Amino acid sequence: MPLTLNFTMDAETNRQFLNGHPVVMHSHHYLSLITKLAEDMGDLGGPGILQDVVEETMRAVFDDYIQKNGITSAQERCNVGREYYSVFGLGKMVITGDENGGEVRLVNSHLDQGWVMKWGQNDKPLNYFTCGYVAAMFGAAFSRPLKSYAVTEEASIAMGEPESRFIVKAS
Amino acid sequence: MTVMRDTVVKSLAKINVQGDENGLIPEYEVLVNLLPVSLLNTFTERIMAAAPADRKAEVEAGLVRAAYECGYHTGCGIITSEIFNDVVMPMVTEGEKDILRGAYAAFTAWGWAKSGIVQLKEGEKMIIRAFDYYEADSGGEGLRAYMLRGLSQAFFDLAYADPYPDGMDTYVCHQTKGIEVGDPYGEFVVTKK
Repeated sequence: MPLTLNFTMDAETNRQFLNGHPVVMHSHHYLSLITKLAEDMGDLGGPGILQDVVEETMRAVFDDYIQKNGITSAQERCNVGREYYSVFGLGKMVITGDENGGEVRLVNSHLDQGWVMKWGQNDKPLNYFTCGYVAAMFGAAFSRPLKSYAVTEEASIAMGEPESRFIVKAS
Repeated sequence: MTVMRDTVVKSLAKINVQGDENGLIPEYEVLVNLLPVSLLNTFTERIMAAAPADRKAEVEAGLVRAAYECGYHTGCGIITSEIFNDVVMPMVTEGEKDILRGAYAAFTAWGWAKSGIVQLKEGEKMIIRAFDYYEADSGGEGLRAYMLRGLSQAFFDLAYADPYPDGMDTYVCHQTKGIEVGDPYGEFVVTKK
């Protein structure tokens, strides 16, 4: 079932909301540089910080939608995350798996394609953002707490692969 | 006629964005994303908190740089876009000054910052005040409107430095006041680097 999208704007501040959550537009330059900043701060745990923040904040968005719309099946709950990914302009996902884990393929990726547009191919996977996103999506689908799923990026569009691939394992 | 801010804000604020059939938002010569504000603010807060005192300036520079490059490249796409051409350009009678006024109206319309120019010496200095901006909601210490600093620097570069894409890093923006530290508004000063 497609997501119900309710875009609203605060008349006084012009802040924008999607299904009640404040949202803001940026570009691939921004997300690429935020990712690079996380990498540059690798000794401070930068990639992990980015991944955890994405998992926590996206999980709140998914749980809110699932609760308000009374969605009960794991497949439909997982679909909320998949569809939000495309609404946010982050790309297109294909998901397989169950509560023990699975695989997520990106056939399009804002971050990877944006990174290549900006700097060319990278020599290693870099999509920490989507690792956190996928963990949030599986957690919401199977009603598990944060950090219940470990996600690793096994193939990367940014490295020149035709698709990105993420392996999900229940931890 | 010069740029009528309220007209621009009302016209641009009607626009909503979402991914196309590929899950992407190709607009303004870039790929656009739409993200929860809490994600951006929380990342900023945590990466700054993780940095020891002698690394905070480096992290801060990285956050400003992300907004700056986003603003410089996307900004060029915005001010040359069909919508900007339709809504803002018919009101432009004072060249770059009016384009900058239009740009801050767009910042306001798109919910980045309710902001405008309060002082402008062409090619030399600009002072911006913002009465609402999402970074003011972030936790942490001190002035921390890194996004608005980067965007202001980017738009002054687009207006008065060498033509795109050769004018990067001509100007710099400093934040002098912030809602996040208890001031009634955020204030940003752009000058030559």
